[in-house]
Amino acid sequence: MPRVPIGSWASDAVDWLTAHVAWLFDFVTTVLNGFYTGIHAVLAGPEPLILAGIFAIIAWWLRGLPAALLTFIGFALIDSIEQWDETISSLSLVLVACIITIAVAVPLGIWAARSRAVGGALRPVLDLMQTMPAMVYLIPGILFFGLGVVPGIVSTIVFSMPPAVRMTELGIRQVDEELVEAAEAFGTHPRRTLFRVQLPLALPTIMAGINQVIMLALSMVVIAGTAGGGGLGGSVYNSLSSVDVKLGAEAGLSVVILAVYLDRMTGALNQRVSPLGRRALAKAQAALGGLKFLRWKPATSLATVGVVVLALVAGGMGYFGKSSGNGTGGTDGNGRSISLGYVNWDEGRATTYLWKEILEQRGFKPKLQALDAGPLFAGQARGDIDVQSNAWLPTTHATYWKQYKDKLEDLGAWYDKTSLEIAVPSYMKDIKSLDDLKGKGGEFKGKITGIEPGAGEMKILKDKVLKDYGLSGEYSVQDSSTSSMLAELDRSIRAKKPIAVTLWSPHWAYNKYDLTKLKDPKGAFGSGDSLHMLGRKGFSKDEPQVARWMKNFHLDEGQLTGLENEIREAGNGHEQDGVRSWLKKNPGLVDKIAPSSHVSYAKGKDAGKSPNIGYPAWDEGIATTYLWKNVLEKRGYRPKLHNLDVGPMWTGLSTGQIDVETDGWLPVAQKQYWDKYKKDLVDVGPWYDKTSLELAVPSYVKGVKTLDDLAKHKDEFKGKIIGIEPGTGEMKRLKSTVAPAYGLEDFQVTEAGTSAMLAELQRAYQKKEPIAVVLWSPHWAYSKYDLTKLKDPKGTWGANNHITTIGNKSFPEKFPEFSGWLKNWKMTPDELGSLEKDIQDAGKGNEDKGVQKWIDAHPGIVDKMAPVK
Amino acid sequence: MVFGRRPKDAVRRLEDGADRDELRAEGTTAAVIDASIEVDEGQIFVVMGLSGSGKSTLLRTLNGLLEPTAGTVRFDGQDLTSLSDKELRKVRSEKISMVFQHFALFPHRSVLENAAYGLEVQGVPRAEREKRAYEALELTGLKGWEKSWPDELSGGMQQRVGLARALATDADLLLMDESFSALDPLIRRDMQDQLLELQKTLKKTIVFITHDLNEAMRLGDKIAVMRDGRIVQIGSAEDILVTPANDYVASFTQDVDRTRVLTAGAIMTDAAEALGSTAPDGKKLATAADLLAAAPATVGLDTPIVDLFTPCSTSTVPVAVTDKAGKLVGVVRADRLLAVVGESGDQPTAAAVPAPADRKPSDTQDKKPGNAPADHDPEGKVITGA
Repeated sequence: MPRVPIGSWASDAVDWLTAHVAWLFDFVTTVLNGFYTGIHAVLAGPEPLILAGIFAIIAWWLRGLPAALLTFIGFALIDSIEQWDETISSLSLVLVACIITIAVAVPLGIWAARSRAVGGALRPVLDLMQTMPAMVYLIPGILFFGLGVVPGIVSTIVFSMPPAVRMTELGIRQVDEELVEAAEAFGTHPRRTLFRVQLPLALPTIMAGINQVIMLALSMVVIAGTAGGGGLGGSVYNSLSSVDVKLGAEAGLSVVILAVYLDRMTGALNQRVSPLGRRALAKAQAALGGLKFLRWKPATSLATVGVVVLALVAGGMGYFGKSSGNGTGGTDGNGRSISLGYVNWDEGRATTYLWKEILEQRGFKPKLQALDAGPLFAGQARGDIDVQSNAWLPTTHATYWKQYKDKLEDLGAWYDKTSLEIAVPSYMKDIKSLDDLKGKGGEFKGKITGIEPGAGEMKILKDKVLKDYGLSGEYSVQDSSTSSMLAELDRSIRAKKPIAVTLWSPHWAYNKYDLTKLKDPKGAFGSGDSLHMLGRKGFSKDEPQVARWMKNFHLDEGQLTGLENEIREAGNGHEQDGVRSWLKKNPGLVDKIAPSSHVSYAKGKDAGKSPNIGYPAWDEGIATTYLWKNVLEKRGYRPKLHNLDVGPMWTGLSTGQIDVETDGWLPVAQKQYWDKYKKDLVDVGPWYDKTSLELAVPSYVKGVKTLDDLAKHKDEFKGKIIGIEPGTGEMKRLKSTVAPAYGLEDFQVTEAGTSAMLAELQRAYQKKEPIAVVLWSPHWAYSKYDLTKLKDPKGTWGANNHITTIGNKSFPEKFPEFSGWLKNWKMTPDELGSLEKDIQDAGKGNEDKGVQKWIDAHPGIVDKMAPVK
Repeated sequence: MVFGRRPKDAVRRLEDGADRDELRAEGTTAAVIDASIEVDEGQIFVVMGLSGSGKSTLLRTLNGLLEPTAGTVRFDGQDLTSLSDKELRKVRSEKISMVFQHFALFPHRSVLENAAYGLEVQGVPRAEREKRAYEALELTGLKGWEKSWPDELSGGMQQRVGLARALATDADLLLMDESFSALDPLIRRDMQDQLLELQKTLKKTIVFITHDLNEAMRLGDKIAVMRDGRIVQIGSAEDILVTPANDYVASFTQDVDRTRVLTAGAIMTDAAEALGSTAPDGKKLATAADLLAAAPATVGLDTPIVDLFTPCSTSTVPVAVTDKAGKLVGVVRADRLLAVVGESGDQPTAAAVPAPADRKPSDTQDKKPGNAPADHDPEGKVITGA
């Protein structure tokens, strides 16, 4: 029998659709999302109890007083068990799905009822829709529509459509043909026959269909939870994947309350909307005796008034209640949203909530989604999820990584102590390592309880571990799911029965139960996975700051378990409180993990003042001046920068047009100016004392370490030294003193200027050609390239300068705070080098960006440079 | 009227002489074949036949619910088969209404709304259509039931609603499809009486379908008997009874209570036959006046013969039959009466009942009181089926 590759066809079809019909899917996504958001906004707006009141009035209108009371109690209970938001999400999803389903299904049913061909063609399609397991099209749904409510809505529509179509068709076919003929015999237009005779008479059947739709939709909503549909489905899914009986019970109960309400209401709706239903209702009411008030139902108009009044109250409360601000976050995020996805394992939840808190503090609007690994990777590959925080690589999530890695970027590992293992309860005293399992097959009934068959750990276990330890015949690995495995573990431990499970560290099970990780002396499980943060493609470009934070993010075992414990103690639904209390115990951690560029800086004393700062177009001058500009601005100053040649700048300083400059090379290089103007100036203080003038060569030029060496290797350098501007002190010194001392006179010193020199250096460096350049320290070139400063054993370059801040005489008086900061300011070569490099990388005109990047990378630097009380 | 695949082929084959069973073997049903009928204004035209004889199909071609495969339907000078859907709907809503076997009342509408349905379709404003529906309901004896719902009424009452609905539109032509068949016999009789009563004043043209010959005889001014999609005989009740076209019709008439259907006019013999005879008291009956004086009873032309038995048994003088003016037109002798009743269809030959054989069907038109005279002008309703 040849293999019919239906699976690959389907997969090809999905690929093709994803590639070519994306616009359509995007459109559908936009429409459905908008629809959902609209309905959700309306439902989520009012206070829970007011909405419960509105639901109760509807119940009163449809079914009478007892139903109304039960409704109110039911929904109040949902509110009390903190499932309200989830319930509203689910309700919105159900409503959207049902409205669309009904809008499509009823006309389709009518069409099918009128045309046998359509009815016949539709039937197999409906069968397919109804019986195809929803999970099968949920994953393509994610590829098409992305994560979130939309694939949920779409699969709900697909799933719940058939009964509506069928019941409509049936209802219309059931209408007595003589009645249709009668209508026709009186000359009724077919459309009118449909709307005035067939539909009203078919309405009870159609309503039964709609009731089915709603119930199916509700059941589907739970499944949609695994695709990020959120709502009660999300809660149920969460409780499943973490074996959280408490949450499961509460979410389940909420589903039941919602289901019963919707079922009874749509059931009763028939009595209100269909003429036949109204007849039956009137009859029933007429036949009634005693306790009439229980059955009394407000008239439609009265019920409407009630609903409107409550809605107005809700609206009013919403309007007046919305005055509270939206928190005190930083401003790095500017409210940009970042979606974080995670597989709902403890470590995933812990880090994700930690990042949620961090990002919120930094002014982002993070959105969280717990998902199965499959939907999570598929959704992220599509770009729906920005970051997932617990990818187990290289083993556990290997298949997903292989499939999607082109569309993801690895933000690095943040935890590397994971391991895969088989665990047994520690009351199994004599089983400590995998070797001990041999021969104990009978005790364990030859069974190792596994997790999802697709998991990497299962593959390794079956393919390698069992073989390596010779357990292949004795044990079989049982495919199951993580939650079933955990449930089985729990059950066995309670009964003190032997059990062996596939487990991994970190895992909360180790905290909850007393378990033995079986040693793996042969290393069959391989070295453990690391936990990686994965970004969607392009994430680090879109959010460089966050990506940098995440790349540098790291937790050790103590931190992770501590965090997990706090979160577990805070309880479900309060994860973030757990994170907060953990952060309280780890002060400063947020600033360390996510050094903010805009942490709200306290204003300086002289905030608002505008110092005039001059600077020459030298790298360290530009760098430090822009650094101070940024620091001052954060402190509320309004500095003005003036780019000047050295001469005019000193003049300006002396007259007071320039208040201060940071690039004074003293006592040597700029001695002439200092001597000339010093009576009008003040030396605020040196901030850098390791300056030097030198010749430098790339380190790949071996054997050239000193100026003497250079002379010996003249040919290699083609007898050339690349110089800078001819008028500078360094060039003068080179020619007058240095060159003669080391026999370098016959070198040709080019006089091209600093930038030409640097360009030449870069060119040569790339080609690995020998080159000798006139350079000085500090210079960013030392950060960028691997250069050797040629030693000057004879000291011909003269005494080192330090770089100092020069101010006008009045400067300390005019800007006491600023001058105080400058006085205490120091920079290390590394700091200056990296600052210059960042500015260089940012490019001309973007100096501020470069500075900002550097400040981000040096948390606390602002406070260090410009301390305020 | 042919149902099934390739109906046109079937028509051709029928024209070539194929019969219904041959077609049925091929999966085609020829429901009505070669049926030409003509219904005059103000007439109750009854189509009678067993189920499956095609009578309901024939009826539905009359208002265009079914379109004949071949042939035409002419109504009021118009060929219905050539009308567009829209025009046809207009004709149906204004000129032709219908009463159904199982009433076909809309269960989601009150009695009043049901009665007003036709008017609603016509687009008559609410106030007026309710007024007219009230009138129609009153006419059918349902005053006071307007607010009720169809399922609260008995079968007879429901059909009155159906009748009211048909009458309310003021249509000229009323199609009644076995309208009384689903009712109990007693109620059915009531309804028949009521229909006849109404017809006296309304003078609608009515095509009435039934499988009950007694009903046909009671109601029909003219009766068409159908069998296997073909019309076997068209004629007045007496024609059918007295001169059945073939054995089939005759066997049909066996169970009919002739004494109620046949009238004195239909079986009377020439008065001259009795003139000159002698009365039991020896008096010579020389003139019509003598005869009238001596006759045990004097009856009208349309007196059912059931009323003649008693007078006939009390005297040897025949019963005198007079026209409306009181002029003697014939006599019924006791032996003649017995002969007609006793014959009971065994010998359905004209010989046994020679007297009325030469009467033309159209003569029956003035048999019933209030009937319009024969009216063959183009305005008359002409219905032809094929």
